[in-house]
Amino acid sequence: MGLMRMQAQALWQQCLGYLQDELTSQHFNTWIRPLQAEGDEHELRLLAPNRFVMQWVADKYQHRIRELLTDLCDLQPPHLKLGIGSRRTVSNPRSKASAPAPDSLVQDNLVQTSGFSTSAQAAAARYPKPPVGRVQTRQTKPSTPAAAEPSQVIEEAQDAPIDEKPLAAPKKTAKKSRAQKSNTSLTSKSATTPSLDQVPTKTKTTKKSKSAQAHLLTSTKKQDKASQAEHQVPLLAPCPEVIQEAQADPKHQAKTQTAEANKGRTAAERIQAYTRSVREHEERQRQQRSPYTGKANTSTKNSSKKAAALPKANSQLNLQHTFDTFVEGKSNQLARANARQVAEKPGGIYNPLFIHGGVGLGKTHLMHAVGNFIQQQNPQARVMYVNSERFVADMVKALQLGTINEFKRFYRSLDALLVDDIQFFVSKERSQEEFFYTLNALLEENKQIILTSDRYPKEIAVDERLKSRFGWGLTVAIDPPELETRVAILMKKADLAKVHLPAESALFIAQKIRSHVRDLEGALNRVIADAHFKRHPIDTDLIRDSLKDLFAVQEKQIGIDNIQRMVADHYKIKVADLLSKRRTRAIARPRQLAMALAKELTSHSLPEIGTAFGGRDHTTVLHACRKIRALQQELPEIREDWQYLLRLLTA
Amino acid sequence: MMKMGKQKYTGEIVPAQLSLSVGLRDDATLANFLAGDNQVLVAHLQQQLLTCDPQYLYIWGKKDSGRSHLLQAACHASGHQDLRSLYLPLRDLASLGIELLEGLDELDLICIDDVEAVLGQAIWEEALFHLFNRMRNKQHRLLISGNAPPQQLPTRLPDLASRLAWGLIYQVQPLDDIQKLAALQLRARQRGLELNDEVARYILHRSPRAMRELFRALEKLDRASLSAQRKLTIPFVKEAMRW
Repeated sequence: MGLMRMQAQALWQQCLGYLQDELTSQHFNTWIRPLQAEGDEHELRLLAPNRFVMQWVADKYQHRIRELLTDLCDLQPPHLKLGIGSRRTVSNPRSKASAPAPDSLVQDNLVQTSGFSTSAQAAAARYPKPPVGRVQTRQTKPSTPAAAEPSQVIEEAQDAPIDEKPLAAPKKTAKKSRAQKSNTSLTSKSATTPSLDQVPTKTKTTKKSKSAQAHLLTSTKKQDKASQAEHQVPLLAPCPEVIQEAQADPKHQAKTQTAEANKGRTAAERIQAYTRSVREHEERQRQQRSPYTGKANTSTKNSSKKAAALPKANSQLNLQHTFDTFVEGKSNQLARANARQVAEKPGGIYNPLFIHGGVGLGKTHLMHAVGNFIQQQNPQARVMYVNSERFVADMVKALQLGTINEFKRFYRSLDALLVDDIQFFVSKERSQEEFFYTLNALLEENKQIILTSDRYPKEIAVDERLKSRFGWGLTVAIDPPELETRVAILMKKADLAKVHLPAESALFIAQKIRSHVRDLEGALNRVIADAHFKRHPIDTDLIRDSLKDLFAVQEKQIGIDNIQRMVADHYKIKVADLLSKRRTRAIARPRQLAMALAKELTSHSLPEIGTAFGGRDHTTVLHACRKIRALQQELPEIREDWQYLLRLLTA
Repeated sequence: MMKMGKQKYTGEIVPAQLSLSVGLRDDATLANFLAGDNQVLVAHLQQQLLTCDPQYLYIWGKKDSGRSHLLQAACHASGHQDLRSLYLPLRDLASLGIELLEGLDELDLICIDDVEAVLGQAIWEEALFHLFNRMRNKQHRLLISGNAPPQQLPTRLPDLASRLAWGLIYQVQPLDDIQKLAALQLRARQRGLELNDEVARYILHRSPRAMRELFRALEKLDRASLSAQRKLTIPFVKEAMRW
């Protein structure tokens, strides 16, 4: 297996060499580089990060890739398949290991790793409530070698164009499928995040698509034709689980997998391969663990029990955001105090706690601090942090998969729910509704809710009922930090970064940057980076130099005509004089100055500059530039004029 | 000369219609980027690739300062580290729609070029905002370039604006004439061309002086010198470029 995989990848590496030669750096880096290869000598699967990239590659590069494969393999080039997803390897252990919140990886990676989940099982993994009556929930842990197949590469169906992928029902004939496709493309064209009204229908169709195996671009000619014919591609990127659904049955899965690899094998080999893949699958099941608990998932539990019996969810809390690391000042004192009270007595009178304030002022930090505190006090507490985009995305997926009940159960079983940036619920009606019911359910059970937004509850453009719920508990504001707080924030951040920041340096930065904490952090990052690089302690000079790049003015596009006008104005002569043949000093000096400025400030060629000054030779321009440089040394007034005009033109 | 070798090689190893891939390409890499006054920036870029610290790097500069080169070079370098990356030139691709961003947070590195091209469009700003959050949550690398410092970008969504300002920010300093000469010679060497100071200066004094124009001239000269089997001399350059 390992060897085969090597072959596919080695072959792809060779292809890459040619493609890199043939394509521009830009196209290669945009469309080819993100592809991941896997497979064996029979099949090369290329995984794109999303549906759009896959389609693009299919349209523009698939043909060439296939040619290359044919040329590179003497006898039998492997089948080429395009899919969406990621290879199941820890591709970069370093970066993952260094991630401060590796738990945040779980939920997303899960999507790719649970290649064999049925929809319900996928949901079970997401919302870790053991489904009733299910014998075994298969949940995978990301990055385990367990799930060897990419979730989204689905077995090939020779006569089904990919475009219909997860949206359309399975079809028997190509004709029918095409008709359907145009339908789906019409409805789904509008958005990636499907509008919620459409979701139920989609759910229906995807459910039907169990047997649809149209998920891969295959290397058959027929396929080629089909995909060429489909210019109207529904751009709706499938949610991974949708595709997984097609693989629901592990046995079927194993069978189709092997079927593909079976070409050219003896019957005995085929049987062996089949039994092996079934065995591997069973092994995987055994190894699979709950991403939420990290514990092996020990089969059935009656899920109708209370929340306490449930495995604890991954809270998505950032452990660095605590009350200790939160810098208190006049602008956020009250909010902090209230948050602290909520943390000590969750589900009490301040429910929901609504924190509002401008961007980058610490709302999210405060929210995490409460969550972390609750978690610390009661390790059993089920706390969940989610931003509203995530809530919506999860819900959309749940709707598509028909796992909305698991979704609801999961969210309604929490002890504390923290939802960030709820203003992004705007115009997502279905999500608002679900969120409303979730809120109600939790509030009735005296579970703590914390919400943040950039504006006051009444100003958020959401459903009135929701708005009034927001205001039920306590609403607190965080204001922009005043100078002292900004200094304190900088000192704290420097402290966390183990960098010595003198007080006067902190004051200097805090005086210059008045907006929000992210700006402060950005500036401090830059100062620290430069101090490290230059091996120089932080002082005012270093800061001034570092912060130049943050505040430098965007440079204008300057044209030669612009320069000529400015220079003529400055010397009170006419532009026509600059272009004329006259060589009196009163004209020639300004002309030389203007030429030198044109060379300095534009990227026109010297001949072009010469032409723009009344058709002069480029050597004249060169001479002018040298002359002005020399004169700046000798004559202060020329130096001043030069600097003045330079400033004027670039300001 | 190497190109001749390339053709000779061809028949022996692979079918005739394929010329062997020998990496004689003009790809943007860190090795062929003349850092000039951008050494600190390049150092941080390399560090980001190695350690994911900074997780988010923002570089800005005016046209022709080499931003796109750096972003593509980062993608190129990430390939050597088994990182999965993607280059996203928004000026060219914005019209394709935000579907393009779907699922990209799975990648180890995303290089977004010309971010200003989509700013002001609510749907793009929100999509970028969410992508930013997801990349940050996963500690995946983000490299963004724009034509102005974050504070001066025409961002409407404050949430995005504040995030764009959050990273490590560097201005890409354009090359001066002397550095341009060096860059031209570096690129020529990489193509197997000999380009002495005198000829390089001759080119610089006659060609439009934007780097991409200079490289274009070099490419043309490379082809001309190959087909004419002549070295790059002033008379040859003059003739080939019709200056």
